[in-house]
Formats: sequence, C-alpha cells, structure tokens
Amino acid sequence: MLTLYHWEPNANSGKPMLALAEKGVPYESHYLDLLKFDQHQPEYLKVNPDGTIPALVHDGRVLTESTPMMEYIDEQFDGPPLRPADPVERWRMRWWMRFFDSYFAPSLSMIGWSVFVGPAARQRDPQELREAIDRIPLESRRVAWRKALFNEFTAGELAESRRRVAFATDVLERHLTKHTWIAGETYSLGDINGFNLGYALPLSQPERCNDERTPRIMEWLRRIYARPAAKQTWEKGRTQMSSRIRVLERT
Amino acid sequence: MSHPLELYHWEPNSYFLKPLIALEEKAAPFTSHWFDPTRFGQFAPEFPRNTESDLHLEREGPVLVHGDAIISSSFFMLEYIAEALPGAELRPGDAFAHYRARASAQFLGGLGADVTLLGCIKYLGPGLQSQDPQTLKARLGDIEPLERRNAWLGLLDGTYDQKLVGSLQERLRFPLGRLEQALSSCAWLAGSAYSIADIDAFALLRSLPTLAPDLVSERATPRIVDFLDRMHERPAVKKALALSRSGKPHEAFVPGAEPSRWG
Repeated sequence: MLTLYHWEPNANSGKPMLALAEKGVPYESHYLDLLKFDQHQPEYLKVNPDGTIPALVHDGRVLTESTPMMEYIDEQFDGPPLRPADPVERWRMRWWMRFFDSYFAPSLSMIGWSVFVGPAARQRDPQELREAIDRIPLESRRVAWRKALFNEFTAGELAESRRRVAFATDVLERHLTKHTWIAGETYSLGDINGFNLGYALPLSQPERCNDERTPRIMEWLRRIYARPAAKQTWEKGRTQMSSRIRVLERT
Repeated sequence: MSHPLELYHWEPNSYFLKPLIALEEKAAPFTSHWFDPTRFGQFAPEFPRNTESDLHLEREGPVLVHGDAIISSSFFMLEYIAEALPGAELRPGDAFAHYRARASAQFLGGLGADVTLLGCIKYLGPGLQSQDPQTLKARLGDIEPLERRNAWLGLLDGTYDQKLVGSLQERLRFPLGRLEQALSSCAWLAGSAYSIADIDAFALLRSLPTLAPDLVSERATPRIVDFLDRMHERPAVKKALALSRSGKPHEAFVPGAEPSRWG
C-alpha cells in the first residue's frame, strides 16, 4: 500500500510525484491545498505531526523528507533506475540536490512568496491567517510562514535572494555546458529535483533564464518536459501554478 | 578500487572528522594532507578544486581526491566512501534505513550550522583578532563566493554578538530534543546497525558538551551522552581523533553551512 500526500506538482511535492511516475509505480494520491493550510489540519497531523508536505506512507512507514524520499522510491521499487550506477555520478547527483534544496530553492521561494503567494494570501482575513499560523506545529515553520504571509522580508533579504538566484542560474548554466544531465551522462533524481525547482524560471525570471542567456538550461528543461512522466505528473495539477509548465512547449 | 585516496583535512572536528572516521572504519589507506583553514591553506594553488568544492555549502573542507574525482560535502563524502570502497559495511540495513540515515543527516545539517557558528564565535573569532588586521582583511576580501566571504567577515565586524549566541543556543534545544527522543527507541540513528548516520551526527555533536554544557550533559540529554560515549569507544574514532595536532580538536572551527535564511 503506497500513499502520497502532496500539493501541486511543484517544488517538494513534485519531487516524489515525478519520481513515482518515472518508475511507473501506482499510488493513492491525497491532494492537500497548501494555501488553505490543509497540512495543519488534525487529520493530516495524524500522518505527519510536523505538518509538512509531502508525506509518503508505505506499508505503515512514514517518510517526510522529499529528497531522501526520492532515493527511497528508487531503491525500493522496480522500474528504470533513477540513480547512476557510477559512485562519482551518484555523489554529483546528491551534491547538486543539496545545492538546489539549500541554496537555490530558499532564495527563489522567498522571491516567489514575496511577489505572488503572499499578496494573494493577504486578501484573506488577517485574524484568520494569524490563527492558521498559530496551528503550525514547528516553530521554524511558524517563523517562515509569518514572514511570508505578512511580508516581513527585509529589502536586504530580498536583494540577497535575487543575487543568489542570479548566481545559481549562471552556475547551473555552466554545469550544463559540461554535462548532459545533472549527475553527468545519466538522467537521475538530480534532474527531477532541479526540474521541480526550475521549470517556471523562464516565466518568473525571464531576464535571467531565456534562450539567449541560458540556452543549456532551456534545453535541459525542455528535454525533461518532453518525458511522458513529466507530462503525466503536471496533468495532476489543479491550479494555475501547474499550467506554467507550458512555457516549455517546443514551438 | 585501485586509485589512491587523498584526503585534505584539518583538525578532527565537525565536517573534517567525518571522513577520517569513515576511512578508518573501512581500513582504507589514504594520504593525509593536513591544512590550516584559519591560515587559508584551502586557497593554496596546489589545493584540489572543482566547481563543487568551490561552492559546497560547508565552505572550507574537507576534500577527498579519488583518482580523477574531487569529492566534497561531508555527508555525501560519507555516502561515497560507504558505497565505493571495500571494507566494513557502513550503510544501514534496507531502503528505509537508508532513508532514515539521509533524513537524519538533512535534519542535523541545521544543527551543524548552528554548532559551527557557535564554535566560530567562541574559538575562531578571538584567534582571528590576533592576526594582522590589514593582511587578514585583504585575504578575506579575495574569498568567493560572497556569502562565503561574509561568513568570515562577520567574525570581525561585530555581526555575531551575544544576542545571537543566546538565540543559537535556544534554537539548538529543538533538534537536540528530537535526537534524544530518537536515541530512546534505537541504539543507532538509522536503526539497529551502526552506520554513516552515526558518524555524521557524532562529528557535529562531539564539541557540544564543552561548547554548550547546559544543552548536552548527563542530566539534560543522557541518551546523547551515552551515544557520544559509545562512539568514543570505537577504535576508528580513537584513531581519527588521534590525528589532532592541537590536542584540542573540539575547539577547531571555521565557517561552515549557514543557518536558515528563513529564520
């Protein structure tokens, strides 16, 4: 029995969704609306008391960290391997997943929350938002949500995030001039991770990520989008967010 | 694997301690290249470099050279050693145990960042003050990328004050509580077998009884103290710690992973 609790095919939720699709592993899908705080409702807290998504439940075991979860999926289930056999390529895959998760993604999401998600959420009753934040189990997540929903990012923090996104985009472009895929010559979880982070970069950072400035990134994103598993995964999206992927259609 | 192994490392503490223990556990012969990152040996022309070693989020080292490969980032280095080298099994049992090891390392990465910053404020900052300020600032000004440079400059410009020390110590209570709880149900962090998860955690935690005695002690965290004691008994750990040149490896810190920018 395999159950995945997830939001849109995007960022952390999209990682196990795309990995499972690539492996051809069927699962029971539970969609949680992150912006309605479904992940902090009592029913879900019985699955993951930390109230974070995604969560994968397999034969009674609960996995809540999306990047290690992908390695579990690859190791546990039959289907095409998603980790290189070569130890150096496997190390490179992990190194880049950490770079995406801990350097690129926090900066990109700070900009995204500041520009798109925060203003939309603030249309709601502030008292309702405060109560929703108070229900978040982890202190670190309460701090993050408070910053995001009440626009408590400083100008300095946002400037630093923009600098890091520009820097990381250029680093990735250079990497893809040397390697076909993130790990080297093998499509892997590193590409799945990076795709979930970067599929909308041509829309959110058009001056940074485009065919003239970052042709390797654009080609890499389009190659992943052309895979049947990616198409199948993004069709599960329910909001405008997932439709952004159409920017990768080859014309 | 017939390629020779070369490890570029400093004192056996924190990130530098991890591969030293793993290589000893594997009984893998390696050439030790000891360098002093407080004197910026990691920027010497002969120091091995690639994109990943320049940009890895633990900043200053260690680096493992195996044939043509330059391996950085200490937990992934442990995974590489566990997977690529013959010798003692350092991977935990099954796929779920592997998940637990990786999730543990990811979770403790945040703890490691806070411990490293505390250690830098207590031990490295005063040491840097004794170096010639102009030479030091010129040296630090060359460091790329910017956030790696700023982590050093923060030790000189008053960014890291006592208020920050207090908030770092307070923040450590949560992961230490989780860790204490985890060790109440299993002997080792990924399950019943000793693994790279334990090497990872030990290296990050070992300095805490002296760095933050209110947080890690027999009274506050008996299971963590027992875990540290069991680790200290392992011959590989003893050999790794014996490589210290200062006799005080638990005081050896340089800027490492940065605490979360989201607060």
